[in-house]
Amino acid sequence: MSTLRERNESAWLLPKGPGSNLGLRENMRRFRDDDEVDIVIVGCGAGGATLLQRLARAGWRAVGLDAGPFWEPEQDWVSDEAGSHHLYWTEPRVIGGSDPVPLGSNNSGRGVGGSMVHFAGYTPRFHPSDFHTLSADGVGADWPLEYGELRPYYEDIEAELPVSGEHWPWGDPHSYPHRPHPVSGNGELFLRGANACGVTAKVGPVAIANGRFGNRPHCIYRGFCLQGCKVNAKASPLITHVPDALAQGAEIRPDSMATKVCLDERTGLATGVEYVQGGIQRFQRARLVAVAGYSIETPRLLLNSTSTRFPDGMCNDFDQVGRYLMVQGAPQTGGRFQAEVRMWKAPPPEVSTEDFYETDPAKPYKRGFSIQCVSPLPITWAEHVAAQGHWGAALRRYMSDYPHWACLGALCEFLPLEGNRVTLADETDRNGIPVARFSYSQCENDRQLMSAAQQVMEQILTAAGAEEVITINRYAHLVGGARMAAAEQEGVVDRNLRSFAVPNLLVTDGSVLPTQGSANPALTIMALAARAARVLVQGARRGVTSTKEN
Amino acid sequence: MTGLPLQRDDGGGRYPGFSTLAQARHWDPVTAAVVQSRTALPPDVRFFTPAEEAAARALFDQLLDQHAEPRVPVVNMVDARLAEEETDGWHYDNMPRDGEAWRASLAALDDEARTREDCTFALLSLDDQAKLLQDICDLDRDLWHDLPADRVWSLWTRYACTAFYSHPLAWDEIGFAGPAYPRGYKNLGVDGLEPFEVRDVRPDADPTHGADR
Repeated sequence: MSTLRERNESAWLLPKGPGSNLGLRENMRRFRDDDEVDIVIVGCGAGGATLLQRLARAGWRAVGLDAGPFWEPEQDWVSDEAGSHHLYWTEPRVIGGSDPVPLGSNNSGRGVGGSMVHFAGYTPRFHPSDFHTLSADGVGADWPLEYGELRPYYEDIEAELPVSGEHWPWGDPHSYPHRPHPVSGNGELFLRGANACGVTAKVGPVAIANGRFGNRPHCIYRGFCLQGCKVNAKASPLITHVPDALAQGAEIRPDSMATKVCLDERTGLATGVEYVQGGIQRFQRARLVAVAGYSIETPRLLLNSTSTRFPDGMCNDFDQVGRYLMVQGAPQTGGRFQAEVRMWKAPPPEVSTEDFYETDPAKPYKRGFSIQCVSPLPITWAEHVAAQGHWGAALRRYMSDYPHWACLGALCEFLPLEGNRVTLADETDRNGIPVARFSYSQCENDRQLMSAAQQVMEQILTAAGAEEVITINRYAHLVGGARMAAAEQEGVVDRNLRSFAVPNLLVTDGSVLPTQGSANPALTIMALAARAARVLVQGARRGVTSTKEN
Repeated sequence: MTGLPLQRDDGGGRYPGFSTLAQARHWDPVTAAVVQSRTALPPDVRFFTPAEEAAARALFDQLLDQHAEPRVPVVNMVDARLAEEETDGWHYDNMPRDGEAWRASLAALDDEARTREDCTFALLSLDDQAKLLQDICDLDRDLWHDLPADRVWSLWTRYACTAFYSHPLAWDEIGFAGPAYPRGYKNLGVDGLEPFEVRDVRPDADPTHGADR
């Protein structure tokens, strides 16, 4: 038995080939609401499911709640763009600010597995420079944690997903457990164009097994990673951490929408979570509560969890909850080739460059961007074309040219700004709970990054032989909103993801990130959750209410 | 099922004989059911009032250049989404929720048409409809009938494109093979085609050149 399998047996608990281990779900341990479990975790995505698995392994009595379904990929997911609408969080939300960020599809998830169910699959590490941008670059924030403290958890998670790619020369140089995948026409043109303009580009890093992994099959290069992987080749917590969590005695309650974290006014400790399941209001008692609902729903839940002690929302003594929320500027540039690219074939995540990641002193802006392959399917591609002002006959004519286009996407490190935040709107959801209002405005540095990234993508595609290029400005990913900090005046949680205000309350999702780099956040969210779990386990269950640092 | 009418100059006939639906036997049953349901008789209109339906029909015909049968039944598909509240959930703080935004913007289309030609949008000539729409498109961030024009335009085109390009007949005219599970792809790379894929017979028909707007 390998160390990996001893740490996380998920890939061996799945059936051989596609499908789910339904027996694990049927025979899952079930706690009663009035059992005081060791921990109740709100949200079973990257952060929540990783924490659940780690704590269940350590013998904790752990319950995970998720607002969405417990997916069965063979039955519930389709190889179809419009038919995958149910993978997204589509509860009402209000967006505003000078640069409002549309939600719903690419930056939200629901159900067990979270948004990793439909993420492209890119799992780059953050760079060491990401952890102290304020000291080094005068922008952003310093983490109360350095890269080296996260590295062992990056390595663990990369092995568990597993991640495939070439040797990675950027940031802290490292290798991946699986070899790089073959690339499609889109990746081929990216590599060709990058090579022609002296940009280093590498294949990877993607959380798609290259070869069998446990009982998980090899990728079949069907595209449609963003519609949920029916093959079980692309990683999501549903197949990488949930099976092991269940086998180790954790319970997952799907279709359970958390509405409030409750507080004992006398002790100042959290007592459990109120949630609605099947229209019935329930309450799960717990000694610890972890919130992992991601950057919109986590702040919303905390803001809605009011009490005498916290009239403005739990952990909101210093008006930090919901603030410093970030998206990445994610312009996409398409290039037209005489040859047929057929970019929808093979997984959209293939090739990346991080040559432009850090601050370049020769540039007027701070920090940078990464560039990756993206492969919009027809509906998304039509939105690109329509965004150029084409409609009617021009739209149809443009679309008939679809096989000739390659597409790159950038991730620009937008800076954390105080006013970019979640507050509560006047509107309520069907449970009568106020919905989130998300306000976003870019700063000048953000705009400069978007424009610089567009120029580089156009150069690469043109160098690869593109006759024409078009760019659409859009956004990707969400992080921040309940950030970690060294002091309670500047954030919501400490370096171990424990809230400053309530000693037995943690936040274990992307909302704790103080900065975002130009990296896709999933791997870092999982690594942070794995690290937080380790601290909890080392602290022993009886010591969890101690505020003492590890 | 016959293809959608599309003139050669508008990108028609580039993938001769290509049929996505002919590959349906290679799809998993759940996906096949979802895709094939789009070729069945569309659901009756439930959300739009008759006046809204008329305006929406004319709007979608214009946005997607569908002026002859067979058509992708976009108006029914959008109506079904709105009736079932299958929206993305979010809305701009200066726009109502999607359902209300649709009602308001379709009413505004009729108001605008009455101001211009004293008839509803659907009864305008095709040329006048197109001119009116281009005027709205050009307004960008300005207000149009108290709604931000760019948000209205984005709402219309998002729903229109999502419906139209989910239809297998629309995939045929763009060379897209649709679902690929459990078969997957074998021939990756530039100019790599599967045996069932059909090569573009007019690779020079770059839409960015020639008779484009």
